[in-house]
Amino acid sequence: MQTLEYLLQGFGVALQPVNLLWALLGSVLGTAIGVLPGIGPALTIALLLPVTISVAPESAFIMFAGVLYGAMYGGSTTSILINTPGEAGSMMTALEGNKMARNGRGAAALATAAIGSFVAGTIATILLTFAAPVIAELAFYLKPADYFALTVLAFCSVAVVMGSSRVRGFTSLFLGIALGTVGIDQMTGQPRLTFGASELLGGIELTVVLVSLFAIGEILYVASRYRGSSSQVIGVKGQKWFTRADFSRSWKPWLRGTALGFPMGALPGGGSEIPTMLSYTMERKLTKHPEEFGHGAIEGVAGPEAANNAAAAGILVPLLTLGLPTSATAAVLLSAFQNYGLQPGPFLFTSNPQLVWGLIASLYIGNVMLLVLNLPLVGMWVKLLAIPRPQLYAGILVFATIGIWGVSGLVSDLIIMAVVGVVGYVMRVYDFPIAPVLIGLILSPMAETQLRTALAAGQGNWGVLVQTPLSITFLLVAALFLLVPAVLKRLRASA
Amino acid sequence: MPNSPHAQREDGVRAASRPFWLAGAVIAIGGLCLYGGLQLPQASRYAAVGPGLFVTVSGSALIILGIMLGVQIARGEQFEPQDAEDATGTERADPKALLLALAAACVPIFTIRYLGLPITATLSFVLVARAFGSRRLVLDVVSGALLGILAWFLFTRLGLQLGSFLPIAGL
Repeated sequence: MQTLEYLLQGFGVALQPVNLLWALLGSVLGTAIGVLPGIGPALTIALLLPVTISVAPESAFIMFAGVLYGAMYGGSTTSILINTPGEAGSMMTALEGNKMARNGRGAAALATAAIGSFVAGTIATILLTFAAPVIAELAFYLKPADYFALTVLAFCSVAVVMGSSRVRGFTSLFLGIALGTVGIDQMTGQPRLTFGASELLGGIELTVVLVSLFAIGEILYVASRYRGSSSQVIGVKGQKWFTRADFSRSWKPWLRGTALGFPMGALPGGGSEIPTMLSYTMERKLTKHPEEFGHGAIEGVAGPEAANNAAAAGILVPLLTLGLPTSATAAVLLSAFQNYGLQPGPFLFTSNPQLVWGLIASLYIGNVMLLVLNLPLVGMWVKLLAIPRPQLYAGILVFATIGIWGVSGLVSDLIIMAVVGVVGYVMRVYDFPIAPVLIGLILSPMAETQLRTALAAGQGNWGVLVQTPLSITFLLVAALFLLVPAVLKRLRASA
Repeated sequence: MPNSPHAQREDGVRAASRPFWLAGAVIAIGGLCLYGGLQLPQASRYAAVGPGLFVTVSGSALIILGIMLGVQIARGEQFEPQDAEDATGTERADPKALLLALAAACVPIFTIRYLGLPITATLSFVLVARAFGSRRLVLDVVSGALLGILAWFLFTRLGLQLGSFLPIAGL
């Protein structure tokens, strides 16, 4: 009951006219970003971080939540109408949705995606509402050794899951960890990896790395391989909209997608890609119309889209309750909290209930806004695709420069931007995953602090790291992440 | 999406056949970290972990991973460029476009302190647009300048320190 009281107070915050405007702005921006190529929710939030200087934290996070959910909606529009997923979680939608559009069923595909996203987003937000306070309560019992084990689990899962090769995944991760150690050591005050450069004493900002890896790396990569071809948008005018038969084929996949997406989004390394893939595979197995799969099956759009949106809410659970980012977007949100001097975790629920519950309440409001914005206005969003690519990418670079220069005003950050941008380009060419760099960068200071605190409490005894059931469990699961793929590979090879 | 770009691509255009330099670069970065880490104490009296340990561990790990990468490359590991919207990994890279885009990213390093954000944004805008094949110079200059000026006014009002409008002229 106390949760409902807090939620009502949250609605009191989220329904303030100014916050409704921020939610609308975030939803519109998020949808536009999902539709446009080259920028995802993580980069958008990073580019919007400067607004945290002049806006109240509640308003900023309400806007960021709108961007997060909106990007998921926008991604499905481009997946269906031009077969180009705006973000990785929409890949599976493109597979069946675009076929449906080509068969003259684009309107139905867009409807099942939008309504499915709404249903999944709402259910996932309800789950978040009731699960987050319980987990935050439990998190009070976590000891530093448990937190350290949790970061090890996050490192292993992210490096293994988010890439096509473990060596490349771990290389990305350790690059991030190394970047995270640059600057003054928090405990001893000694400069690390600064090589005498005073500009590096403050460490390397996550925003700089994120904007450089995503925006500059992407611009360099696309510029080098862009041939001026634009995909043909399939019109939806005059098509038959969502029918009763479509609904009866969609509602179960929506629920199954939500059930997969929410918990997997909450797991380190889960992200939105894996639940959407699993949802697609599950729907393909369960469908009564297997012959339609690969040619435009509505279940193949409904399930993955629901999983995608539920996962977006799922990433907020570990972020808000444990301060643990499980995806690139969550890492940027964590950075946004830190900009306000706030540390997500169990204490956030008691120290800043207005912020946390206002944010959760805004997710409900944002979901309704997005449904209203997306179903009737799909034609308007598609027009965004008419922006010429040369000017679009040029604009992204200008905003990236503003984001970096405006935050620090240091030329050294602009140099880091160019260097990390080139690294981002190389990573795309040689297929290194990018998210582990960010997770390594943001979690390595936390891992180090927790390790030191645990060892200090244990008077230097390393055995303290495996003295609680939770830390043992986390470390065992981390080991499984490392070993299982190798064992499976061997088994497959010998079969 | 770990595997999909590869699954979709059947013609298998590769980034480079044996990029040993990639392994060398990872080892070099690891070496730099290891050198930096070893200059610092590895242990501390109270917390057991000194300021150098994490740096040393990450440097050592990168060296080991670089060696593993080198072995994989020698064994014929294939690298398939990632797909992006507006670009497919199968396309051959255009070095001229790449250099133009890189120049656009580097322009602010040299100009932003003296010429300010609006002019810097215009220069970067024109270079990126050209890298993407735009030949409408006037349109790009006007668009870049408008974007730079509007962004300067808007973000300065929001409290961002973007420097003077045109520092070299004292504005």
